[in-house]
Amino acid sequence: MLFRPNPSLGVPIYLQLMEQVKHAVETGALRPGEQLPGIRPLAEELVINPNTVAKAYRELEHEGVIELRHGAGAFVSANAPAKKVTDSLRAGQTIVASAVERLRARGLSEDEIRRLFEAELAGLRTPGGHRG
Amino acid sequence: MLWRKSWLETRTRFLIGLFLLLLLAAGNVFEYPRVSALIPATRSIDSGGALGGLIRKAVELQRDYRGFIWWQWFRQNLTQTWTLFAVLLGTGGLLSQTSGGAASFTLSMPVSRTRVIGVRAATAIAELLALALAPSLLLPLLSPAVGQSYGIADALVHGACVFAAGLIFFSLAFLLSSVFNDIWRPALMACVVAVVLAIGEQIVADGSRYGIFGAMTAEVYFRTGGLPWPGLFVSAAASAVMLYGAAVNIAEQDF
Amino acid sequence: MADRRTIETLDLRKSFGTTEALRGLNLDVPAGSIFGFLGRNGAGKTTTIKILLGMTRPTAGEARVFGLPANARDSSVEIRRRTGFVSEDKELYEYMTVDEIVRFTAAFYPKWQGELEQRYLRTFELPLATRIKALSRGARTKLALLLALCRGAELLVLDEPTSGLDPAMTEEVLQALVAHVARQETTIFFSSHQIAEVDQIADRIAIIDRGRAVVAGELEELRERYRRIQLVFDGGAPQPAFRAPGVERIRREGRVLTVLSSAGAERIVDEARALNPVSVDVVPVTLKEIFLETVSAED
Repeated sequence: MLFRPNPSLGVPIYLQLMEQVKHAVETGALRPGEQLPGIRPLAEELVINPNTVAKAYRELEHEGVIELRHGAGAFVSANAPAKKVTDSLRAGQTIVASAVERLRARGLSEDEIRRLFEAELAGLRTPGGHRG
Repeated sequence: MLWRKSWLETRTRFLIGLFLLLLLAAGNVFEYPRVSALIPATRSIDSGGALGGLIRKAVELQRDYRGFIWWQWFRQNLTQTWTLFAVLLGTGGLLSQTSGGAASFTLSMPVSRTRVIGVRAATAIAELLALALAPSLLLPLLSPAVGQSYGIADALVHGACVFAAGLIFFSLAFLLSSVFNDIWRPALMACVVAVVLAIGEQIVADGSRYGIFGAMTAEVYFRTGGLPWPGLFVSAAASAVMLYGAAVNIAEQDF
Repeated sequence: MADRRTIETLDLRKSFGTTEALRGLNLDVPAGSIFGFLGRNGAGKTTTIKILLGMTRPTAGEARVFGLPANARDSSVEIRRRTGFVSEDKELYEYMTVDEIVRFTAAFYPKWQGELEQRYLRTFELPLATRIKALSRGARTKLALLLALCRGAELLVLDEPTSGLDPAMTEEVLQALVAHVARQETTIFFSSHQIAEVDQIADRIAIIDRGRAVVAGELEELRERYRRIQLVFDGGAPQPAFRAPGVERIRREGRVLTVLSSAGAERIVDEARALNPVSVDVVPVTLKEIFLETVSAED
C-alpha cells in the first residue's frame, strides 16, 4: 500500500511518507483505529532509513493523524483532525483539478504545471523549514 | 587463526622445498656407491696448481662416507637449496598484499601489525627448521640401504647449524619485504647478497671459518667437533636486528 | 538520542609527499545514524576511512572513533574490535574458502553472531566450500558484507559498498544495511559516489571535495534548505552582489540568472526582486544537483 518514496524529487522523504499516509487515511485505505506498519519493518520494506520513518510518524502524531501507543505501535487516530484533513483534502482536490484544467487550457504541459506547483510550495517554506 | 592463515600462505613453498630437499638427500645417499667406485680412478689424475689442489682436497674428503655426506649434502645441496627457500619464505608478507592482496582486510582485524607479521615470521622460521632437519634426518635413516651409517647427532647438529646460521638470509628477505611492496625485489636482492657473501668467504682468508656460510656448513664441527660460534653469533644478532627493523617498518607504514 | 559522536574528525590533514589528500576535514557522525560520505574519485574518501581504521596516519589534526584516538596503536585495535569494515576493492584471501574466511574472522570477534551468519549465508546464497578466488564480484561483495555485519560491531565502515553491483544486488545490499540498522544499535558510515543510494538510506551526509567537507548535515534538512532561484530578465542578466548569506553559486546565461542557495532563499528572492526580473522561480534541489554544484569541475 505504501510506495517507495522518490529521493530525487527534492522533497524530503519523510514528507512524502506523511503525504502517503494522509492520502491513505483520506481514501479509506487506512481506517481510524487501524494499525500502521511498524517503523522497522516499514523501513526494511521501503529500504529507507528507519529514522526517516520515525520522523514521519512523529510528525503525523503531532498533526493528530496517527497515535503512537508505547509498545503497541502506530494507529490511525479515531478523531476529528483526520476527518477535517479529509474534508480539506477533498476541497483541495477540487481546487487543484480546476487549476490544472485552466493551466492546461493555457497550453502548459504537465511538467510545467508540476514545476509551478513545486516552486510555489518551495517558495512558501521558511528557511530552516520543518524541524522534527 | 593467524597461524592457520600464515600456514596457508606459506605451505606451497614449504612443501615444495621439503619435497625437493628430501629427494636431494635421498639422492645423495644413493649416489655414494657410484662415487666411491670412481675414487680410486682419480688417483691417476695428475693435477697441479690451485684447482688441482681443490680437486684433490675434495676427493680426499669424500673418501669416507661421513666426508662424502658433508661435502655433498651439508656443504652444498642443503646449504644452497635451503638458503634459496629461506629467501622465498621471507618474501610475500603484508606489504606485498596491498595491491591485489588482502592487506586492508587483515589490517581491519583487531590485532596489532606486529602480531600479524610476528606470527608470519614464526611460521616461516618453524618451517625452515623443518626444512633443515627433516631431510638431514633422512640420512641416518637411509644410509644403511647403501651399507653405511650416519650418526643422528651429526645430522642434527649440521642441520641446526644450517638453520641457525642461514636464518640471516630469511631475516634479510623479511626486512626487504617490509620496504619493497613487490615480491621480486626482496627475493633477488637477498639472493644477490647470499651469492656475494659466499664468494667473499671463499676469497677472504679464513672467511670460511668466521663467515656465515662457514657456519652453515659447520666445517669446524665436521673436522673438530666444535661449533662455529662466530658465524652463529653474527647470524643471530643480525637476524634479530633485521626482524626488529621489519616490525618497525610495518608499524610505521601507511597502507 | 544520546549526544554521542561515533566518528569525529577535527581539521584532519594528510599529505602523501607533495600531494595533499586531506586539507582540514571536519566530520561529525552521531551514533545510530546512517552517514553517507560523498565525493568524487580522489577527493579523499578512502584516505579518511583508512585513517579512521588506523591503516594510515594523519599528517595533522585529530580523528576519533568511539571517542578514542584513531592513530594511537592500542586504541586503534580497540576501535577495530568494535568496527566492521568493507574495503573499496573487497579483497579477501583468495586461497581460502567461504567457510574458512568466516571462521577466520569469527575467531577475532567474541561477539560474533552465529544466527546472523547463517541467515546471511542463506540470503546471500554464498556456497561454503567454494574458494574466494572462484566467486563472482557480487558474491565477493556480499561475503565481505557478511564478514562485517556479523561481528557484533557498533560501527560499520563501508567504502563504496555497492560499486560494481547490478541494481538488483545493490538493492539487496541496501536492504541488508537498513535491516541491520533497524535491528541493532549500529552506526553506518559509508562512502559512495552513487547519489541514489545515499539519497535512499542516509540520514546524514557530508560531501568531500579536494580534501575538505564542502557540505554537511542532515539530509532532510539539506533538502529543505537548498533552493535553486531562477531569475529571467528583460535584457541581459545583471551581475548582482547579494548581501544575504547562503549564496553558493551564481550563473549568468544571457537573460537568465540562476542562483544556488544553501539557506535563506526568501531573503535572496527579496533582494533579487529589487533587480526587476521578469520572472522568479524557486525550485527544490536534488542531492545530485547539490553534489554537482558544490564539487569542483576540475581537480
